[in-house]
Amino acid sequence: MAINVTKLEMTLQEFVANVGNVQGAAIVSPDGLSLASSLAPGMDDERVAAMSAAMLSLGERIGRELNRGEIERILVEGQKGYGILTSCTEEAVFLVLTDRNAKLGIINLEIKNVIEELRKQLLGLAQPIGL
Amino acid sequence: MEIMRIVVTGPVGAGKSSFIRTISEIEAVDTDRKATDETATLKAKTTVAMDFGRLQFGQNVALHLYGTPGQERFDFMWDILIRKAHAFILLVSSHRPQDFRAARRILAFMRHRSKIPMLIGLSHADNPAAWPMEEILVALGYLSPYNRPPTVTVNALEIPSVAQALTALIEAYAQEQMAELNRLNKDAFI
Repeated sequence: MAINVTKLEMTLQEFVANVGNVQGAAIVSPDGLSLASSLAPGMDDERVAAMSAAMLSLGERIGRELNRGEIERILVEGQKGYGILTSCTEEAVFLVLTDRNAKLGIINLEIKNVIEELRKQLLGLAQPIGL
Repeated sequence: MEIMRIVVTGPVGAGKSSFIRTISEIEAVDTDRKATDETATLKAKTTVAMDFGRLQFGQNVALHLYGTPGQERFDFMWDILIRKAHAFILLVSSHRPQDFRAARRILAFMRHRSKIPMLIGLSHADNPAAWPMEEILVALGYLSPYNRPPTVTVNALEIPSVAQALTALIEAYAQEQMAELNRLNKDAFI
């Protein structure tokens, strides 16, 4: 089945709306193209996608060369909040932007939950029609 | 030990990653990802952050080579890398005139931010469809034969060719330093 982009975007919108302190979310391909996003107005999703991909690839490289093992997430902590990158599927990376008051434990749990849902939707494309 | 940072830039598929891989003494650091955009028609993988390679040049200088991604959506990487560079190479595929416009945009981007010495490297110059050097330079915006940056043909897969391009760039850099020094001296006497 093909990926339902509308459904993906809806899942992201719900995530951003329902999880406290989350300000934006996006799914991007590892080579930096936007697949779906729900971002603050004025944030260019093409740019966000390219930056996420660059960050993740450098992070994974650090994980490998500096013997940190498989990368689970990359966290950017700023004065105004967090940017959290998590690998979603082989073909997709999940980015979440939060405000400064976000509790990391909660956010990580929420990310884990929504990734499960996103993964199902994204892997839907791998199944042949009729299944 | 002095470190000289050189940025290798240019459109998708010009040979930036190969260039660095060919000459680096350490195993080059790459950030390749499977291409899913129009790049995929050209090659399977594409750089998404940067390439890094290192080369000892003489006794006292270490060259650090940074390769940029080719696609414009990664222009924040162009910006990050060019700001600390001492010199840069613009690689252009001679046989892909459809890329000349992208090359020109990269050139403008770099020139807008930095006045460091540069070199134009024309790759795939042995391809039967390759454009002559003169015409490529005009396409890149160098209409007059004067005040053009040094230009060489380069095969990114061959060590002597890459070394030659780097030497030409370092010469341009040294000349620039010399001119700067002369300017300073002159000012001191006035």
